[in-house]
Amino acid sequence: MSSPAIPRPASVAAMRRILRPARLPQRPVTATPESCRSVCSGAAATRPGALNASSLRSPPSRARIPRPHLQPAARSYHSHDHPPPPGPFTPAESALLSAAYKRVPEHGFTQEALALGARDAGLLEISPAVFPGDGVFALIRWHLYTQRTALADTVDEVAAGTPAGPAGVAERVERLTWERLRANEAIVGRWQEALAIMAQPSHIPASLGELAQLADDILYLAGDVSVDPSWYTKRASLSAIYAAAELFQTTDTSPGFRETRAFLQRRLAEAAQAGAAVRSVGQWAGFTAGAVVNVLRSKGLRI
Amino acid sequence: MAARSAFRRALPWLPRSPVASSLRQAHHVPSQRPFSTSLSASTPNPSSSKDPSVPDYAIPDPSRPTHFGFQTVTEAEKRERVAGVFASVAESYDRMNDLMSFGWHRVWKDHFVASLNPGFSPLGDPPRAPQHILDIAGGTGDIAFRLLHTAHVVNGNPDVRVTMSDINRAMLTVGKHRAARQLPASQQAALSFVEANAEDLTKARPLVPYPPDHSTSPDEYTGSEQPFFDPATATTGIPDASVDLYTVAFGIRNFSNIPAALREARRVLKPGGVFACLEFSKVVSSHPAGALFDAVYKEWSFRAIPLIGQLVAADRDSYQYLVESIARFPSQDEFRDMILDAGFVVAGDGYENLTGGVAAIHKGMKPRE
Repeated sequence: MSSPAIPRPASVAAMRRILRPARLPQRPVTATPESCRSVCSGAAATRPGALNASSLRSPPSRARIPRPHLQPAARSYHSHDHPPPPGPFTPAESALLSAAYKRVPEHGFTQEALALGARDAGLLEISPAVFPGDGVFALIRWHLYTQRTALADTVDEVAAGTPAGPAGVAERVERLTWERLRANEAIVGRWQEALAIMAQPSHIPASLGELAQLADDILYLAGDVSVDPSWYTKRASLSAIYAAAELFQTTDTSPGFRETRAFLQRRLAEAAQAGAAVRSVGQWAGFTAGAVVNVLRSKGLRI
Repeated sequence: MAARSAFRRALPWLPRSPVASSLRQAHHVPSQRPFSTSLSASTPNPSSSKDPSVPDYAIPDPSRPTHFGFQTVTEAEKRERVAGVFASVAESYDRMNDLMSFGWHRVWKDHFVASLNPGFSPLGDPPRAPQHILDIAGGTGDIAFRLLHTAHVVNGNPDVRVTMSDINRAMLTVGKHRAARQLPASQQAALSFVEANAEDLTKARPLVPYPPDHSTSPDEYTGSEQPFFDPATATTGIPDASVDLYTVAFGIRNFSNIPAALREARRVLKPGGVFACLEFSKVVSSHPAGALFDAVYKEWSFRAIPLIGQLVAADRDSYQYLVESIARFPSQDEFRDMILDAGFVVAGDGYENLTGGVAAIHKGMKPRE
């Protein structure tokens, strides 16, 4: 049909572009194969594990990420979206809560643990009354906060990779999430009580805030650099997966929480599958819609 | 917002209005202490050389200007006027509280005491330590009785004693009579009454009832004794580091010199002891619902409360002072900074708002040295 001398247009739209270049800027850009290619490669780049393919996006190590000097030496890392305040706890609070935290495995997240901790710290049994509202929730937040910030210390070990090659983002997300779950080990027998307290209406906003910060920290430490809407979906799905895995962990009796890790890996794999499926459907729908529009235009419809 | 500006037009003299701010500017209050109840003295204070760590504003000075509601008076004058206010309202104080706050002050006080959880002690070894609670501005005993109930009944710890202290003998006498009527004997035995000025707790004396015969009301009493504590009659004092918990509920805004009282609280508390204050505060009006609530609350407090005072207690001026003193009291953050300045440490924000900020609980802990 077409002569070899004339280059074959990539699409109807491209042909229209050649024929009527002046009108093009006025119309919205529809999905052409060219634009699709860039979108597709963008989508591929944001897929977990795909970052190694590109040398431009090598996994960042902690040393290579420039950190704003907000608080020199106060914290070992800095989340790129939420510059953390100097920590929610004052030194006096930290002294009291860290002493009380040691009593949690035996006494749970209770007033008893706080009073015994205050005694251990050389204070009075009345001292925990200084916490606004209920000191128990402060103790739970202490666990959430200290274990979350402790993740930064494990990130080098997590990023080291295997003999097969450096760890990808997805793999590092899985390992960091597992590290965080393992940090619950000492208090896991008491964690159901804590979850019940965190689910009280007045504590829900703070609890969800901590969960969101945890998901953000894990993805940041894993080297995720996405800035498209997947920034939200990744954090939301990781939060949901982490919360589910933590709930699973409270009833897990297998040695070394083997079952919990298997549960976590299954959920992450499902999320990756679901994400891939959504992306494929979106890609197909976008391409089809673009093609329909272009076919209609080729029939002379002014869209 | 429309309703709010209408209220503002109707009541141009409300706090945050030009009047309140111009009052502050007129006295050249230092900017780092935007609301001090004690304005800096123009003459050097002779006692300031005693302890260089205590700033001038935290040393009581009878001649220094402070405020009494929206008026400016000296510290000594404020002390007398506050004494006059509470001597005249002592009898009707409890009834008036219920009318003014629709009984809600009971909920605040219950929450305040529950959050302090006095007398709580983990079971087991070592045996629990006795606790000494000092209830400053204890008045008619609302807080002290709740503290005793929580400690003795809820937490089952009889090793908790409460000292009720007030500068106003008429109020404290009402409290003593209420205790005799309401409390079981075991709790009465753990309760003591002390007359003292919260700015200088080294001088105190056990309560001598005023009026001596409770059948006369304070208004009719014509004896020679004053209705408020006179430091010259002091026989005892509250020693350093002797108190586990220091509470002051709806009292601290009446103090002539709040920084001095906070430092005195720090002195009498043991290391690790807790300062807890329940006080009227500023309604959080940063969002539309809060602003509307603020406007309604201001309307209620400045129009209805003096009227209720006039009708129920036949004393409009005392209740006018009450609402003005609430309006002049520092905001949550400013008062928290005053607590920090006195050498306490706080947890979190350092305060907890009640009913959208109408009242707030401030707490501080005396750190270990």
